[in-house]
Amino acid sequence: MTDIATPTVEPMTSGSRGFDSQRALRVAPVVVILVLCIVLPLMLSEFWVDRITGWIPLAIAALGLNLLTGYNGQISVGHGALYGLGAYTSAILVGDQGWPLFLAVLGGALVSFAAGVIIGLPALRIRGLYLALVTLSVAVLFPELVRQAEGLTGGTGGYYITEPQVNSRGVVVDRPIRLEAPEWTGLANDQWRFYVFVVIAFACFVLARNLVHSRTGRAMIAIRDNEVAAEVNGVNVARIKVLTFGVGSALAGVGGGLYALWRTQLFPQSFTLLASFYFLVAMVVGGPASIIGPAIGAVFYGFFADVITPELPERVKPATPLILGVLLIVLMRVAPGGVVGLARTTMARFAVARAAPRGADSESAAGEDETASISRSEE
Amino acid sequence: MADFFRYLVIGLGNGAIYAMIGLGLVVIYRATGLLNFSQGEIAMFTTFIVWSFTQAGIPLWASMLLGVVAGFLIGVVLQRVIIQPFGDPHQKPLTLVIVTIGMFLGINAFAQLIWGTDTKALDPLFGNGQFEIFGVGIAWQKVGALAVLAVEVVVFWLIFQRTKIGLAMRSVASNSESSALVGIPVSRVLMIGWGLAASIGAVAGTFTAVDRGVDSNLMILTLIYALAAITLGGFDSLVGAVVGGLIVGIVTEVVPRYVDFLAKVPLAPAFALILIVLLVRPEGLFGTKRVARV
Repeated sequence: MTDIATPTVEPMTSGSRGFDSQRALRVAPVVVILVLCIVLPLMLSEFWVDRITGWIPLAIAALGLNLLTGYNGQISVGHGALYGLGAYTSAILVGDQGWPLFLAVLGGALVSFAAGVIIGLPALRIRGLYLALVTLSVAVLFPELVRQAEGLTGGTGGYYITEPQVNSRGVVVDRPIRLEAPEWTGLANDQWRFYVFVVIAFACFVLARNLVHSRTGRAMIAIRDNEVAAEVNGVNVARIKVLTFGVGSALAGVGGGLYALWRTQLFPQSFTLLASFYFLVAMVVGGPASIIGPAIGAVFYGFFADVITPELPERVKPATPLILGVLLIVLMRVAPGGVVGLARTTMARFAVARAAPRGADSESAAGEDETASISRSEE
Repeated sequence: MADFFRYLVIGLGNGAIYAMIGLGLVVIYRATGLLNFSQGEIAMFTTFIVWSFTQAGIPLWASMLLGVVAGFLIGVVLQRVIIQPFGDPHQKPLTLVIVTIGMFLGINAFAQLIWGTDTKALDPLFGNGQFEIFGVGIAWQKVGALAVLAVEVVVFWLIFQRTKIGLAMRSVASNSESSALVGIPVSRVLMIGWGLAASIGAVAGTFTAVDRGVDSNLMILTLIYALAAITLGGFDSLVGAVVGGLIVGIVTEVVPRYVDFLAKVPLAPAFALILIVLLVRPEGLFGTKRVARV
């Protein structure tokens, strides 16, 4: 089940060279993204800040999917259901139970974690194609169940996170509960919301990075590359797989909870099979088995859905998933490592070319060989 | 009791449709070890083609046959253009899962692009009439679906057991490397397998469309039922697809009638079936048990 994995290219770096350009190249995108995150809300209009805020939950959910599928090799076609579960749980905790917003997101994450573990247990016996089949069914089943549980979720009519409030004319109206900027920040609500989401997302990404680089993370990758070999080497396969399913789902739950806070209204049709497919698109475009990949993929998807699609003529709009579908197929063919994979390959070629400046003829050939054969160990 | 009998027949009629999609899935799985998640969408697409032919004044049954031919061509093209370049799916099953999901997205959107998002009506192939048996009215359409399924099974059986191409397909399914060595054009055989699998979609779609109309979501639920059917019957068994389809049809029709909280979620029993079978007997009722060598 190693086939989605990116052939990770991590060329040898000589530490004695003073300026470590490899490390700089790896850190650069993170710095660029952070700077953009700080600057963008101050420059863009309220409308666009709000839109971009909506891309963050997608990035976190895609990160969860990436841990599960990219790093651990367990394919989930149903991550939209866990996202939806987190969203509805958080929304109901806020709207019906009156929980504080962040606690509600945490609650959503915990419920998704539990659901992930419950799906992860049978996944120990059901793997590969069969797991894809089961998760696909979960994805189709979820919106049906939401429609059915009308008393709790509002069914097809949707769930609105609101509280009754007396307005200026003394009439009681339902006001959506949203994150609002505290006085001392001097920020507009949309900017505050964006920054809060970014901080949560950053925490999730750092958490995922540390997890992947830990003993557990190496076990996850070992299971993906060769389950039997991992088991022989003393990895507790069952524990790691269930744990990964739980953590991947919890991240989907956090994403869902933030989505609920952002939209303040939820409809079952937002969490269909298509949602699960879009997470896959975000993961594959950004780069499976990379930490920053899902963020890049989410930005790509958001840009595609919010910036490009509205520009298209009305008649062509239904065709946008067509473009995503074709992109998915083409990427799997030419760049299974997504954007990050392409960047890694390019960097490796660059490094090889620099390491052997005299063998000008063999440069490109060596580059090909290197990318194909360099050990796939992660970092 | 009369009610139960009626649900049973309705369930069998629906089950025939699931079995048809299941047959397509099994044909591709046997030949290539690939689970084609876009099977339902191909069927939906060809059903739109059937609808377009009826709009041109061609009788429904003839349109359906034209849809079958169109489905065959679509299957051939998809295999050649998209699947073939990825090589042997046994080597990288997950890559091909993602590829078929890409096809799912693409075909679904392409149909909306061509035919729009309105639901189109399609007449029942066997009319709206019904006949009575033991005082229970039974629609001809449901019996017709079973009859058509029977015809399909016979045709498939003849192709697989009595033709040279069928022999080649069985050979490739059993061992594609050895088949190539004895001179079977493996790639062309796989192409024809895809064509066959895609061709029956038009028939399944024409039956599904009667109750709910044709739109781009036509086959999404049917696909899950068909997947449940082949899980139950065994991924590599044609008999299993038929028996599994009929059982899933009955279960998803009868259970929600008697269990209140499932009334609107007929998908739930199908899902439970998938989960239980995969956990208890992953090879299904008629499938070949797979033993992995370590």
